[in-house]
Amino acid sequence: MVQTEAAMEAYNAYWMNSPLPAADVLWMVVILIVAILALWQARTFVSQF
Amino acid sequence: MDLQSLKKQENQRRIRKGFMWALFCAILWGLWYIPGTVVWVLNPFDEMYAEIAATNGDGMSLIITAVLITAFNALTVILALMVWNGVLGKFGEMKRTLKEFNPCSKWFFLASIFGGPIAILGSFIAMGFVGGAFAAVAALMYPVVGSILASKWYGEKISKRAFAGIIFIIIGGITIFGGGLLNEIGAGNVVWIGYIGGLMAAVGWGIEGAIAGKGLDIAEPDVGLTLRFLGENIIWWVIAVPILAILGFPMFKYALMVFEPLTMLVLVFAGITFGFCYVTWYKSFPLIGVGRGQGIGNLYGLFAVVFIALFFGDIPSWTILVGGALCLIGSSVMFSEDAGQLESLRGE
Repeated sequence: MVQTEAAMEAYNAYWMNSPLPAADVLWMVVILIVAILALWQARTFVSQF
Repeated sequence: MDLQSLKKQENQRRIRKGFMWALFCAILWGLWYIPGTVVWVLNPFDEMYAEIAATNGDGMSLIITAVLITAFNALTVILALMVWNGVLGKFGEMKRTLKEFNPCSKWFFLASIFGGPIAILGSFIAMGFVGGAFAAVAALMYPVVGSILASKWYGEKISKRAFAGIIFIIIGGITIFGGGLLNEIGAGNVVWIGYIGGLMAAVGWGIEGAIAGKGLDIAEPDVGLTLRFLGENIIWWVIAVPILAILGFPMFKYALMVFEPLTMLVLVFAGITFGFCYVTWYKSFPLIGVGRGQGIGNLYGLFAVVFIALFFGDIPSWTILVGGALCLIGSSVMFSEDAGQLESLRGE
């Protein structure tokens, strides 16, 4: 199944008013950065405790 | 350095890490609202919602679609947790914990019942029958239930200062969602089942934390949480989804249509944020206690509003700024608590 035009329109509308550039991609980048930071801290935590 | 100072230093390090995990939980929980919101407009969920709404009404359609989204969310959470445990080299520990059902795993499976079909479903019921702001405010009450239960059940100490912090964060959260809450309740067509849903969310997550705290006495949080989500996946995929399909809802039809690149991508990011937020929530409990872990975790309300403003461009109103300030005061009150107060989390 592919996304319908209406679904893509509704999806793209979410990022239209964002003050950030390329918000439709940036939210994924932010999540990846926070997730990697958490994972890195967890690795450090395992070696410390 | 003498033994006493070393012990104090170690204790301070443990507490710092505990607050750090709770803060990670709040940030990731706040970020989860981005994929958690946009997934609703994507196929097949938007078509599923429309089909069920046409025959069963909007409220029922919201709950049934939410069940399928939550089931997929639980599935992607398990994938994210496999990565987490793989990176930390915990697969051996997972096998050991799973085998020890009676002393260990039963607590996490029990936690999955309270966290999954009671809290999450309750939250969706509150959202569908009252509104999103009411659901968020109701969920903010869970640290009160969690800290009272942890205190009564296994004597977890909760200082007046920590309790004051939790109350500040809850009032801050209520203020953040206040405008929407008044509009929703003032609309007049609120059905009592919506309030039951709100109660289910607060009680469910509170009980889950207290039960998890008990299980975490003898098991690791990373592994314990993975087992908790294994339990939740069984509840959704083996019990809830088939029952709804038998009742005539098109569950499997739309479940099989979910393999679309954008929908999968959004679900994967929902899994990463939800899975990592939950695992950091569980990691904070043995270090700072269930009450404090849940209290700081409650800052998700503030982070959700900030991320929604940044990515969706929804301008925050003054109530959000006042509520945010109250949340920050509450967190500062808890962060600045003397480490000596937290030396022993349980009553002797």
